[in-house]
Amino acid sequence: MSAPLLSITGIGSVTPFGPAAGLLSNLTIAPEAIMSWPNAEARRAFQVKPFNPAKLVPGAKTRRLDRLSCWALVAASLAFQDASLDLDAIDRGRVAVVFASGLGCTELTEEFFRSAARNGWNGTDPITFPETLANVPACHIALFHGLRGPNLTVSGENFAAEIALLRAASLLRHGQADRALVVAGDALSPAVFQWYESAGLLAPACFTANPPVPAEGFIPGEGMVALLLERTPAGQGRIYAQLAGGRHARRGDPAQAVREIFSSQPALIYSAGHGSPCMAHSLAGAMLPSAARPFAGEDLPVVAALAVAEGLGASGGLFHLLLALSRHAVSAPTLLLGVAAGGGFAALRLEAS
Amino acid sequence: MPKTTPKTTPKIPIDPARTIAVTALGVISPYGIGSSALEAGLLAGQSCLSPAAQVFPDFSGCVARVEALPAVAHPQRSSRSDRLAMAAAENACAGLDPELLRQSGVVMATTVAGLTELSPEVAVDPAAWFSRAGLACGAAYPISRVAAAVGEHLGVDGPVCAVSAACASGAVSLALAANMLLDGEVPLAIAGGSDALSEFTASGFHSLQSLDPAPCRPFDTNRQGLNLGEGAAVLILETLAHARARGAAVLALLRGWAMTNDAHHTTAPQPDGDGLAAAMRLAMEMAGVGVDEIGFVNAHGTGTPLNDAAETRCYEQVFRGRSTPIPVSSTKSYTGHCLGAAGALEAAIAILALRRGVLLPTLRLEDPIESGSVEYLRGPLRHQPIAAAISASAGFGGSNAALVFGKAETECSGDGRFDA
Repeated sequence: MSAPLLSITGIGSVTPFGPAAGLLSNLTIAPEAIMSWPNAEARRAFQVKPFNPAKLVPGAKTRRLDRLSCWALVAASLAFQDASLDLDAIDRGRVAVVFASGLGCTELTEEFFRSAARNGWNGTDPITFPETLANVPACHIALFHGLRGPNLTVSGENFAAEIALLRAASLLRHGQADRALVVAGDALSPAVFQWYESAGLLAPACFTANPPVPAEGFIPGEGMVALLLERTPAGQGRIYAQLAGGRHARRGDPAQAVREIFSSQPALIYSAGHGSPCMAHSLAGAMLPSAARPFAGEDLPVVAALAVAEGLGASGGLFHLLLALSRHAVSAPTLLLGVAAGGGFAALRLEAS
Repeated sequence: MPKTTPKTTPKIPIDPARTIAVTALGVISPYGIGSSALEAGLLAGQSCLSPAAQVFPDFSGCVARVEALPAVAHPQRSSRSDRLAMAAAENACAGLDPELLRQSGVVMATTVAGLTELSPEVAVDPAAWFSRAGLACGAAYPISRVAAAVGEHLGVDGPVCAVSAACASGAVSLALAANMLLDGEVPLAIAGGSDALSEFTASGFHSLQSLDPAPCRPFDTNRQGLNLGEGAAVLILETLAHARARGAAVLALLRGWAMTNDAHHTTAPQPDGDGLAAAMRLAMEMAGVGVDEIGFVNAHGTGTPLNDAAETRCYEQVFRGRSTPIPVSSTKSYTGHCLGAAGALEAAIAILALRRGVLLPTLRLEDPIESGSVEYLRGPLRHQPIAAAISASAGFGGSNAALVFGKAETECSGDGRFDA
């Protein structure tokens, strides 16, 4: 991926830190007990706390939506607000929505299954069915804001969010849209949590407030982050960073990919072993030295990812990016690097505005 | 967006480095494995639809099912959608250089993915269900698994991307793969869609009262709905320059592609078909073809009252200035609606029509929707040279995608065989 640079001009999020427009300030958080599911007992996760979407997005009707659709709509709307973008002043047919999720609309998918268990396959709910589709969060964003550009939902085993960002960048580069709202996230559900638990992937912190240290394992999380990516920013507002390149591969040498997108060493590297819930930090640690030091002789500063974003798994990439921007303003070429257990990686190049 | 498309366009030389070639097709459909089986079935006018009760005891109506699904090494780890995808991808990639395959990228669409492997009890008592059914069933659920299964099966190291845009998914995957090639991300893209029949989707469409209890009749005034099908189609895409350099046979050129959204309703199409029309105009503009140069439209044509009416209005506005009515057909009348695979399967069929010079009729079409601008094909197969064809796709959530394919004869450096 090369020029033109693409500007990140708006950020919206719905995360365990709460709904927010722009960067996050207090990044200290611990997993909390799950209270909303029957029989969840003392299980813990990084959860999005209930909030009233209509207070943040006037006119939003979310009562019948999956939580994922609701959060996507709120995060996208907050990103538009943050960018101070007047949608009436632009061609909404030139705004793309690229949504990424690892698991899709699990809340209403499980509800649809429960209705089939109650009533038989012939007695399911017609209102619920379309809301189970993986692409429906992107649809609700388009519907609410009247966005008629390309509208797609992508995923990937480990790097769904990074794939969304790269595909959105490609749409902009080819002139298939002028702006792209890139949105990524996932929501926890009882069956998803149970799968992690049955597979033995969860950290002791999921079961006790005071886990033994050091502890291996994964603390599931949920949330949604939206970025507005523009070829030529319409407003005079801030530009958080510019996306200058990226690579994603199922298997390969991340250091080589980094060398392809950086001509010299990046100033800062944000590393994440994200993507796969079974991915322990030790594994990321084993892969990172070569990946994060692509240029011989350099000893580069590496900033480790936060567990709250690791909890999102494949869709966590935008959350990692938001946390990185919230921790350090991008003032020089910066690498955002994710590596996965199977040898996959995603590398993004950010530059100062 | 362009509001009108010219009748013809000035011919400009193509740039092989910026032109996308289709060099192989892999298909698994109710007709069997391979594009030859698909071609033979279509040219014979054979419908794949059979009583749904044979597959789903709870449902009446019709479905089109793949009967002979190839065995895989680890069936417990693969959903039916995965297995269909792997079969089609293997079919498409037969004979490809393994090193080229390793460097390639995968873009695969699905809507159903591993829902086939789950039962309602998973939501009632997840712990008990996973204990009984095993964790592999849950692991197959994410939509990313279909693309990952193809990547693993073929030994692809490049980017592997899953796509879901409801029933436009298969066409969107081809559009994204074409973008990846123009970006220089991969030398070759393995792109398509796969979806299996499932009780989940059958129940969903049943709840929406979208299923025709009889074999579907797209574009008929008496149409009553759709029939579900299953299958997978995978196209091998690469730049024309790359195809020439390795001496690959070029089956067709993907000359234009575009995606839009209706922003109208979760399930209903925009009544005037504006969104799909915009996608078609953009794709034709990219392809540099006018309305008189399009010889065939393989329509989305689900057979539902709302879709077919909106689609008719779409074609009327796009092809209004054409010298003769645009020939349009829905091949879902043969294969059923294969959901996430439909856009890719119907792209493969459009290429078939282009290469063979055939206008496929819509089966069971007796009383077509009246339109001065559209000729809904019916009756016997018609032989007619086609310079360019469009495959049109639309889906829930207002997704639209249009693909313009052009003939490859002048570009073909291989034997020009259709079957991959």
